[in-house]
Amino acid sequence: MTSTGMEVLIERSKWRQEAVALLVKDLKAELRTKVAISAVGVFTFASLLLLGLATAVLKGVPTVTITRLPDVIGLQYLIEQLHPAWDSPSKMGLLWVLFCFAAFAGLAHSFVHEEETGTVTVLRLSMSAEAVYVGKLLFNLIVLLVVMATVTPVYMAMTGMSAGYAPAFLLVMLSGGIGLAATATVIGALAAKAQGTGALYGALGLPLLLVFLMLLLNAANTVYIVNAPMLRIVKDVGGLFSFGVLIITMSVMLFHFIWEE
Amino acid sequence: MATSERRTEISTVQASSITALKGAWWKLGMGLLMCFVIYGAFFIAGGAVGFGQGGDKARIIFFHVPSAVLASVCYFVGVYFAAFYLFKKQSPKKAAETDAKSAIAMEQGFLFCTLATITGSIFAGVQWGSFWNWDPREISIVIMLLLYASYLVLRAALAGRPERRAKLAAVFALIALVPAQYLIWAVPRLVVYTAHPKDVLFEQEALTFNYKLVLYSAFLAFTLLYIWMSHLRFRAYKIRAGREGKRG
Repeated sequence: MTSTGMEVLIERSKWRQEAVALLVKDLKAELRTKVAISAVGVFTFASLLLLGLATAVLKGVPTVTITRLPDVIGLQYLIEQLHPAWDSPSKMGLLWVLFCFAAFAGLAHSFVHEEETGTVTVLRLSMSAEAVYVGKLLFNLIVLLVVMATVTPVYMAMTGMSAGYAPAFLLVMLSGGIGLAATATVIGALAAKAQGTGALYGALGLPLLLVFLMLLLNAANTVYIVNAPMLRIVKDVGGLFSFGVLIITMSVMLFHFIWEE
Repeated sequence: MATSERRTEISTVQASSITALKGAWWKLGMGLLMCFVIYGAFFIAGGAVGFGQGGDKARIIFFHVPSAVLASVCYFVGVYFAAFYLFKKQSPKKAAETDAKSAIAMEQGFLFCTLATITGSIFAGVQWGSFWNWDPREISIVIMLLLYASYLVLRAALAGRPERRAKLAAVFALIALVPAQYLIWAVPRLVVYTAHPKDVLFEQEALTFNYKLVLYSAFLAFTLLYIWMSHLRFRAYKIRAGREGKRG
């Protein structure tokens, strides 16, 4: 084996330590300044209040969906078909719209910050591109999960959203967090390189998240089905999870094109 | 010296216009074919069964379906050149050309996607009573349109730095492949009910001979139009790049 080959091997085995080092550095900086957490957190809480106010009137509005016409439409039948218009899946959908906006308002910081302070060159010299991506992804994921863990219970208390089937609910939240953090991280790196403003970040990221939100709504519907078959839960939550996995795979493969000059 | 240079320039221009005329037979053919499609859509193909009021609404198929197919084909052409740009070592000039090809495909894709969305929406308006119904096909095409748009936004944001623009745009095109493939495989299965007419192209009995004749001609005409437009855009790019090279 040539010496360069050995070096490449050593480089490859080092990336995990490098990623963890970057994560620790970001977390330490975050604990000192609390920029990302407070930006995403305040944004989410403020929009939560806006949402709560706007949807307060919806609480008592019932709706009827008739999937097939019965032989005789009686009052009893209609009462059975009544369900609230503002039900748990739609509440979940709005909560995630909120998370998407919050992520794209706050998570750009992690790369833009490095560009602004000029530390980006040091970072580029001292570790591989993959390590930078994984470190930043983990940091963003942790910030997002902390915000989600504090905001979701408040949202549930405020709007009366139920958890449905709890394990599936947690899995949906977790896979959703992974998908969102993965997209926000790679697009954040792209937008920072384009020296784009926040508008560019949103314009690049949100179209990618439309499909993600469709998968999420599909999984959210399954969570609230009483006694849903396990196959359906695995299929729908797995479908949501696969989005994050695919974005991460693509990002790891392509990140050095963004990162290296 | 200067006059002789000018003379050679003029002679090359003349020569290229002659060769352009020599190769123009298929462009003329395309024009005639497009005329035939427009004529055929209104006079050869009759109204279709199942569309109500004489079935005239179905005539939009000759313009809507080819645009919709091209909208997705263009994306894959763009992604092909983007991947080629990233993973294949080329000379700077060749690489810039590959990037231009990718960008041109995306621009054409945006155009055809817009056309497909508008024609689809018109059809939805007259057939289903509302111009937008959140039908799975409508959702997919509008997401596709947004993906094209954000690719073009990224390119516009990096207008002054061609090398970085090429690299970042190629990366974005490949990442956007993830949502794009969900549009093909997952979204039609998420929403079970669709009011969109089925893929009549693959059913032998669904189309009469007149419909097939006009529809297949429409496909050919639109594809030729796409190739021609791409050629023109690429030639314009080359002229612009050549001028900038001379100035630099």
